[in-house]
Amino acid sequence: MDKNNIPKELFKPIERKEDTSEKISRPSRSFGQDARRTLLKNIPAMLSLFVLLAIVVFSIIGPGMNEYGYDDQDLSRAKMPPRVPGLENISWLGFDGTLTEKIEGTDVEDATEKAIMRFGNKPDFTDIEVVEQGNGTKGSAEVKATFHAYDAKGMDDTYFWLGTDGLGRDQWTRIWRGTRISLIIGIVAALIDLIIGVTYGGISGYFGGRVDSFMQRIIEILVGIPNLVVIFLMLIVLDPGITSIILALTITGWTGMARIVRGEVMKLKNQEFVLAAQTLGTPNRKIIAGHLLPNMTGIIIINTMFTVPGAIFFEAFLSFIGLGILPPEASLGSLIDLGFDSLRIYPYLLLYPAILISIIMIAFNILGDGLRDAFDPKMHK
Amino acid sequence: MTKSKWSLLLVLGLVLSLFLAACSGGDDEEPAEEPEENTEEPAEEPAEEPAEEPEASGEQVLNFINGDTIPTMDSSMATDEYAFQFLGATMEGLYRLDENQQLAEGIAIEHKVSDDQLTWTFTLREDAKWSNGDPVTAHDFVYAWQRAVDPATGSEYGPYMMGGVIKNATAVNTGELPVEDLGVKAEGDYTLVVELENPTPYFESLTTFGTFLPLNQAFVEEKGDAYATSTENLLFNGPFTLDNWESTAAEWELNKNPNYWDADTVQLEKMTYVVVKDPQVGVDLYNQGEVDRTGLSSDLVDQYSTHDDYVVTPETSVFYFKMNQTRNEALANVNLRKALSMAFDKQALVDTILNNGSIVANGLVPAEFSTHPETGETFREINGDLAVYDVAKAQEHWEKAKEELGVDTLEIEFLGGDTETSKLMNEYLKNQLESNLEGLTVTLKQVPFEQRLDLDTNMDYDLQFAGWGPDYLDPNTWLSLWVTDGGNNMMGYSNAEYDALVESAATDLATDPVARYEAFLEAEKILFEDAAIAPVYQSAMAQLISPKVQGVFVNPFGATYEYKWASVGE
Amino acid sequence: MTRYILKRILYMIVTLFVIATISFFLMKMLPGSPLNAENKLTEEQQEIVLEKYGLNDPIPVQYVNYIAGLVKGDMGISFQFDSTPVTKIILDRIGPSAQLGAQALVVGVILGVLLGLIAAIFHNGVLDFTSTIIAVLGTSIPSFVFAGLLQWVFAVNLEMFPVALWESGDLSYTVLPTIALMIFPMATCARFVRTEMLEVLGSDYITTARAKGIGQAGVVFKHGLRNALIPLVTVIGPLAVGLMTGSLVIEQIFAIPGIGEQFVKSITVNDYPTIMGTTLFFSVLFIAIILVIDLLYGVIDPRIRITGGEK
Repeated sequence: MDKNNIPKELFKPIERKEDTSEKISRPSRSFGQDARRTLLKNIPAMLSLFVLLAIVVFSIIGPGMNEYGYDDQDLSRAKMPPRVPGLENISWLGFDGTLTEKIEGTDVEDATEKAIMRFGNKPDFTDIEVVEQGNGTKGSAEVKATFHAYDAKGMDDTYFWLGTDGLGRDQWTRIWRGTRISLIIGIVAALIDLIIGVTYGGISGYFGGRVDSFMQRIIEILVGIPNLVVIFLMLIVLDPGITSIILALTITGWTGMARIVRGEVMKLKNQEFVLAAQTLGTPNRKIIAGHLLPNMTGIIIINTMFTVPGAIFFEAFLSFIGLGILPPEASLGSLIDLGFDSLRIYPYLLLYPAILISIIMIAFNILGDGLRDAFDPKMHK
Repeated sequence: MTKSKWSLLLVLGLVLSLFLAACSGGDDEEPAEEPEENTEEPAEEPAEEPAEEPEASGEQVLNFINGDTIPTMDSSMATDEYAFQFLGATMEGLYRLDENQQLAEGIAIEHKVSDDQLTWTFTLREDAKWSNGDPVTAHDFVYAWQRAVDPATGSEYGPYMMGGVIKNATAVNTGELPVEDLGVKAEGDYTLVVELENPTPYFESLTTFGTFLPLNQAFVEEKGDAYATSTENLLFNGPFTLDNWESTAAEWELNKNPNYWDADTVQLEKMTYVVVKDPQVGVDLYNQGEVDRTGLSSDLVDQYSTHDDYVVTPETSVFYFKMNQTRNEALANVNLRKALSMAFDKQALVDTILNNGSIVANGLVPAEFSTHPETGETFREINGDLAVYDVAKAQEHWEKAKEELGVDTLEIEFLGGDTETSKLMNEYLKNQLESNLEGLTVTLKQVPFEQRLDLDTNMDYDLQFAGWGPDYLDPNTWLSLWVTDGGNNMMGYSNAEYDALVESAATDLATDPVARYEAFLEAEKILFEDAAIAPVYQSAMAQLISPKVQGVFVNPFGATYEYKWASVGE
Repeated sequence: MTRYILKRILYMIVTLFVIATISFFLMKMLPGSPLNAENKLTEEQQEIVLEKYGLNDPIPVQYVNYIAGLVKGDMGISFQFDSTPVTKIILDRIGPSAQLGAQALVVGVILGVLLGLIAAIFHNGVLDFTSTIIAVLGTSIPSFVFAGLLQWVFAVNLEMFPVALWESGDLSYTVLPTIALMIFPMATCARFVRTEMLEVLGSDYITTARAKGIGQAGVVFKHGLRNALIPLVTVIGPLAVGLMTGSLVIEQIFAIPGIGEQFVKSITVNDYPTIMGTTLFFSVLFIAIILVIDLLYGVIDPRIRITGGEK
């Protein structure tokens, strides 16, 4: 249709009524509903949420899914490769319970002999595949040896889904147990930050004046201390363990939240609805809890969402340096630290915890982004 | 508007250039043009170098890794492996050890021992020189030894190694006598007379030890506090000189010392060292041909045990756990100690966790260490296994212990190291003890080495995983550890009979080698009847060593490696 | 302005004082002293060693001496390295760390800006998607995981770069650690620039510019980028500080003789003077960076008013 030439008969005069002019044709939605809608439509964020929930569930039930305890040691089954029933016949997946290594020698025979020696001299369970024929000089020949670790130990019916570590402990159980610890550290640290931060920031922002100025001076000094330095000092002094790590992480960690909350409170407290409440004689406590807090939920949730992965990362970092939790307890960080030492030869010890921690971090970040978008009125359509 | 924007851009540019400037500031140490060339080449570099080096050689250069920095090069202050290693390579004492761990000529050509075995007279060579040209004289020894026991020096090893051996050493160290009264005198420039407190059969091997090295008095006093803090503040009289070193250095080199009296024997021109702590990194460097020797951790042994260059070298250090009888009173119970010492599988530990050729230890004195003066059997062969893994027996003792102590459950702290391997061992031992002795709870405490020593000194632990390496070739270095209130006992162990045996070995039996040796044998048996300690393993080193490295001897004590006779092979 | 700077510097000094005090007393609570030894020293010898380190004074006196020393730039003597002042240890080790940090920051920020820019220009396109994924991965995956991967792939398998160690003047040794360190700043910058750019590109003056017929390139570079980059300055400070954290592990993994590696070592050997010295050094650096960035920001962006009052 020619837009410039719309037939006149299509135009109809609208019926004017006093009561419909104010009518909102779309359904009315509160800010919260709006945010939820935006979030639900955000596919990556929902996916992340789902993944995180799954990880939380597994961190609870995962360690109990097989018969091995997290500290069931047995050196005779140390460093077993991953083996999963059903998947064991698909060799490229890496769940077939074999160890593979390339071994050099002067000629094929020499290399083969070495390869068999390498895996405890069990020729029946070692498959040899020639890679390089060699010409008799040192290291010229190369064979690829595949060792059936389970069969060789007569453990045909045994399955360690993600293999075992250097003490023969089931890695599946340890990884989920470690995930649990890491999540607990992350979430508890974030909650403590939240509680202290909101309280401190709220009081400071709401009362303003000298109280605020005094409280802000303290924060300014605390913020000036690099958190890395504080955490290190704390962990050197405290006995290692989950509590110490959480304490070290939160001792200055709450300042970020406090600053944000204070800023938000200062913005909100001068708005009309707060003035109205004050005029009506509502006690301060109720104004903070009933009027200010609900209006800050978004920003608090977003901030917490980014605190959790931060804490998980720091725990991993500390464990990696050797200041983390106390064995035989595991965390993702301590598992990565252990795995790092055998990266080249038993890569699965590093691979799975590293993947898991990465997924957790990614999911938290994407979800955090999604929440930020959801609580940002500009993004609502 | 536009104007201000341009100015913004300008500022932004400034900021950026600031950062760039900061970056180039970091590069300042190197020539400005070079980096560009280097970035293009790196791919070829690692491949080229190893290929080139051996060809350009016949060159006597070896490249090594050191596990850490050298803490000190002051022979009076040295206490650890690395210090003794580099002191051994750069300095020369009265003697050094040869391939067969026998004395080889050093600054001393020969010595005479008086009939009562209390006076040792050393004849020194006259052609030995310090690296500044000064001759090495008997006075240098007198000065060094006096300095080592002088309380003002604050040496740890001085009083420990000389006390009870050299006359008046202990008295001088406590300040009761002036340093001049120490039993060491120079008779002329080239005769050294040493008076001993008691006849000491192992004094010979002490003369090779780091603490007994000579010092050039004029030089040391001129440098004062700065002595031995860097290459410039050191004098050498040994086969090599230490170059490009300062106390914090992560790289340094040893070069052949042209002033060394026996320089003709020394074939190596140069050894380079770089600090690498991670064994995996070491192996990578080895594979790229950048270093000629590297240590292997357990996993790496799995991977390289069939490598052509794989070498296992036995060591003489023994690891055990100490059971402190003073803090946790339950540990004063001998049945509990016996239960603990039998309740863990050592074989699985050395095979799987250590995996480096270490062997199970079932006694205190290591295997292949010191032989019976008459029969020639080793100490370990004669005394056999004194503390073996035996769950059934352990549980028997455990039941008795619980009865005697009147408890059903017990909690014990286990103090261990915090390196990767020791962490695994701690976890393993905890698990073994807990699962084999029902009702026992072991709490782990993992601390760095230095902290552990501190807790040891304060006897602030229950069980402690510890180790000991010999300081000289004699059972005394082991058995003197556990005498009542001994400086290294630190676990409240006390047995009068044991004390008497060790004491008599040092005094009235000192001149009767057989009786003395048997006293030591007897003492070790008593130690394990009391289950004072629980031996775990005797260590070994699994390494990749390039076939280029020839003639490097491994010493049972003191400097780990002897390079004087080393050369580059092939 | 001057008043503001003076005030900030005053804060800096107070903060440093607090840090010095806290770390001093924390260290005093810990076991360990230069007397750690396999063999006990006699009383007299202990006296002498303690005297050397000034440890036989009562703690308040030690504290005053320590603070007085700090004012003069004297951080005490290391326990670990005989007779070596802590200041010297820090100076010896700072080179590689500074070089790595600077390289990682510069390269990371430049690449990050480019990535963010691309993402914003091709908003919702494949390139946006890709660069967003890179950014998310970069901010999420721990740097030590990256470092291990890089080392394995590029040094061990492909042999393109040295596996580890440090050769002063040879840039090839710095490539892998720099990449591992720069991932996080790069990703952060990319995300930041993307958001800022999108906001700027959606603003009225850009619409005006487009309406005036200025081409895409002109809009993006002349009008958009400049304004989007200004707030980036605020991110760079925390990033620079974050590099210190990263360097602790990266230096371990690549066996680089930097200050982070020394710090971790000092912790494991109980070298308290060095721990305290390094702590203070990190703090000074951190506070100085934040101060400079804040001041710089005020200079660059006239909208930010610095008067000494509340912001």
